[in-house]
Parts: sequence; structure tokens; C-alpha cells
Amino acid sequence: MKKVISYTALAILAIIFIMPFIIMVFGSLKEVKQAQIDPLFWLPTNPSIQNYINIFSNGIFIRWIWNSIVITVIPVITQMLFAALLGYIFAKKQFWGKEAIFWIFMAVIMIPQQLFIIPKYIMFADFGWINTYWALIVPELWAIMGVFLVRQFLQGIPKNLEEAAYIDGANDWQIFFKIILPLSFPVIATVGTFAFISNWNDLFQPLIYLTNEKMFPVTVGLASMLGKEGNFGVEMAGATISFIPTFLIFIFFQRYFTEGITMSGIK
Amino acid sequence: MTSTTSKQSFSARIKRELNKNLLVYVVLIPVIIHFLIFQIYPFALSFYLTFHDWKIIGDPEFVGLKHWKNLFDDEIAWKAIWNTVKFSIYYIVPTMALGLILAVIINSGVKYSGFFKGLFFLPVVTSFVIIAGIWGWLFRGTEDGFINYLIGFVGIDPQLFLSSSSQALLVLAGLSIFKVAGTTMIYYYAGLQSIDRQLYEAARIDGASPWKIFWKVTFPMLKPIHFYVAITTTIGSFQIFDSAFLLTNGGPNYSTTTIVYYLYHQGFTSLNLSYAAVLSYVLFFIILIIALIQRKYIGKDPNYY
Repeated sequence: MKKVISYTALAILAIIFIMPFIIMVFGSLKEVKQAQIDPLFWLPTNPSIQNYINIFSNGIFIRWIWNSIVITVIPVITQMLFAALLGYIFAKKQFWGKEAIFWIFMAVIMIPQQLFIIPKYIMFADFGWINTYWALIVPELWAIMGVFLVRQFLQGIPKNLEEAAYIDGANDWQIFFKIILPLSFPVIATVGTFAFISNWNDLFQPLIYLTNEKMFPVTVGLASMLGKEGNFGVEMAGATISFIPTFLIFIFFQRYFTEGITMSGIK
Repeated sequence: MTSTTSKQSFSARIKRELNKNLLVYVVLIPVIIHFLIFQIYPFALSFYLTFHDWKIIGDPEFVGLKHWKNLFDDEIAWKAIWNTVKFSIYYIVPTMALGLILAVIINSGVKYSGFFKGLFFLPVVTSFVIIAGIWGWLFRGTEDGFINYLIGFVGIDPQLFLSSSSQALLVLAGLSIFKVAGTTMIYYYAGLQSIDRQLYEAARIDGASPWKIFWKVTFPMLKPIHFYVAITTTIGSFQIFDSAFLLTNGGPNYSTTTIVYYLYHQGFTSLNLSYAAVLSYVLFFIILIIALIQRKYIGKDPNYY
């Protein structure tokens, strides 16, 4: 009886959760005109890849994907590196002001990101960064949440590992690259996956710092297509393509997502 | 003489410290400079802005509390705050409940639970733009809209949804519930796994029904998770922007103008940067109060970490 209820509920919820994605993929394979009038248009009859051809023949879409890659991949790499370095420093090194600096960094998490938007817009206008990658890359080079996760992880690792290495004459850099980095790989992978998803999906910041269509990442580009009557199929083709990287990252790193969420919340 | 020795020992000390902590300085100094430029300075600049009129050219002009006073006479600002509170009411409890239901099902020993956990989590990693695009199509307010088509089967008349000032915010809340429930599921799943199995067995031996076990054992044991999830979803709900921007542009009749949407609108459509900064501080204070409530309760109850 209990089993029956579980499986029934599971089936209903699974259908609800998968439905939007099915509509997205099937919708992208449909002729444009059909999309407006028929609520069942997405059913798999007469599939065509015309929407994909259309979206790629419009060169701007490829540019949007490229912009997204640039403003996502660079911060992902640097955020992983800085999370590892700073996590190591705050977990293992002794220096003046260590705790104070760390907790001041952490306190800023309390400030909603939206508060920074207006002053940063003014600053970036001064720097000449509006409509450039800089506005989206430079402020995101490191992030405190990743540092927190690595620090948390390394604090749980016994000291004698590095002490043995020190006795063998290793310096900090060698210890970092030979011991700390391989050891904290799972946490660093978590930091990377989170950074990837949040940057790839970010709409708010690029929306404000970028006004030139050529500089849009795919989120802002797709948003500019939304709601234009008559191109739901093309929209969904764009959505499907922009979803692929997220989906692949998710498939390969799912474990790191769920572990990361649990780590950052409940210790 | 004495000064040279102390100088030497001072430089020797610096040398020793550098030898010991060179890595710390090489990494931390640029990071602190970055932090001052991109976090502390904007935070302060934003506060400064709220007391000034910002001009594209020329120096900002001090205007005292003008922008703060405007807030109190601005009906749309209050409506935005109220809309955001309403959004929270529509969104928080359903997101928690759905996340808990998903976690309980996943944890109940069904087959392929890993796959389903992934499926329920998928909307979390999908961008708002994609989900909003699909949502907008599902909830079209015409007779041939997908949801209208479905509810037609049970005899409900077509609804306006996003074009109705009483329904639009509900549709946006539905989108957020769908998008975020996977996160709450992960928290609850971790909580469920940490509950001692013996508690369930003891309850079963006492002859309690599964329903009773859930409400008397599982639900109260999840108290720290309920609290944590409530706080994070509340903070998240006050920052809602993407769906209001993508689907309704704050309308119809300002019914989906949330705090952040209004901030965006004031700052970047009306170019009222100083007033937008005031609104961002309103958001900051609201979130600060929620966080302080969290801090207070965490401090009191030894069950919270």
C-alpha cells in the first residue's frame, strides 16, 4: 500500500517536472506557425530542424554563446583556484588578522547582490567597462562561498600530513600543489560547478552592464527574443542549445551539486 | 648603535615572516584590494548616493534625505514591497512542502531514486530565461493556452493568467516553486537521512501508522532543516526579479512589480540612480532583519548548528 502511494506520487511529480523540458525540446523541432495556435503543437509529429538552422544562420546567436562561454569559463577557473588558495591559507596558515579578515569577507554575503548593481554601474561607466567583458569577469574572479567550503573541508584534515611534508623540506607552494590541491579536489569541483551554473545562468548583471546586442550572453539574448509573437519554436531552439552545457555539467557533476548544497547549509 | 641593531632585527623579522608566509601575502594582498574595490567601495558609494543627486556630468549634489523622503510618499514603492511580501507568502510554504514531499518520496526506498532526485533538481540548474520562456507559453491567457486547455477538461473557463493583475503574481510564484523545490528537497533529503532509524522502529513497534510516524517523528526531527530552509527561501523570495522582468515587466498594473524589479526600473529605465540606491538599501535592511532573526534563534537552540 505504502509502495503504491509512493510510486503513484513519484510518477505524477516526475511527469510534471519533465514536461517543461519535453515541451522545450519538442517545441524546438516544430514549424514556427504551429506554435501559436495549438496547445498540443509540441506533440512529436512532423519534426524539423528548421528552427535550429534559422537560429544558427543568424550569426548573433553564435556570438551570444561565445560571450557566455567567455564570461563563464574564466571566472570558473579563477574561482576554483582562489577558493583552493584562500581556503588553504585560512584553514592552515597562521598570520596576523586571519580570523578578522575571513569573517569580514563572510559578512558581505549578507548584502544582497542587487545593492552593488547601481554603484558598480557608476564605477564601470568610469572605468569604461560598460559593454565589455571586464564588467562581468573582473568582479567575479573570486568568491567567498567557495573559500568557505574549501576552508571548512581542510580544517577537517589532520595536521600531520603537511607537517610531514614540511619536515621533508617542502615549502608552502609545493604543499599546496602536491598535497592540498589533489586532496581538496571534490570541494574544488563543487565550487567550479556552482560557479559555472550561476555565471552561465546570470541574467541580472549582464542585463545592466551590457546594452550592445553583440556583447549579450545567451541569457540576455534569449530574453530579448522572448515574447516576440511567432517565434516560440526558434526561442525553444535557442533555449535547448543554451541548456546543453548546463545539462552536461549537471549530468557529470550532479554529486558535487547535492554535496555542495548540503555542505554550505548544514554542517 | 642600538637603532641599527633593532633595525636589523626588524628587517630580519620581516624576512623571516616573508619566508614563512610569502604565499599568504602574495595571494591575500591582491584579494583584499579586489575586495575593497568591488565590495566595500560600492557598498559605501551606494550609501553616499542615497543622499545625493547623481549627474552623468559634474559633481553629485548633496540633497540630504530627499530620496529617503520620496520613498515614504511613493505609493508604487510600497506596492512593490507589498507585492514582494505577497510573493513570499505564495512561495515559501509551497516550496518547502514540495521539497519535503519530494525528499520523502526519494527516501522511501523507491527504485531509481538517484535518477528522480536528478530530475527534480534539474530546474534548479536551468536558467530562469529558459523556464520563463516555457512558463509563458504554458500559461498563455488565451483559450488555446496549454494550461487553459488542460483546465478546460474539468470545466474551468479560460483564465487570463499573466495578463490578470490578480493572477500574474501567482503564476510567477508557481514558476519559482517549480524552479527552487529541488534545492529544498536536497536539504530535506540530507535531514531525513540523518534521522536515527531506531526512532522509526520504536514507533512501528508501538503500532503507529506511517502517517502518524511522519507527523510525530519525522516532521519534528526535521526542525532545524525547516528553520534553515525557511530562512533561505525567504531571503531568496525578497530578491525575486528575473521572472517579473521576463514575463510581465512588472505589470499588469504594477501587480508584479517587486522590490528588485522596481529598483531596476527606477535605476535603469528612469535613470533615477540615487532613488534606486535607496530601494536597494530597503532590500538590504529587510534581508538583514531576516538574517538577524536567524542568528537569534540559532544562538538559542542547541539543536541548530
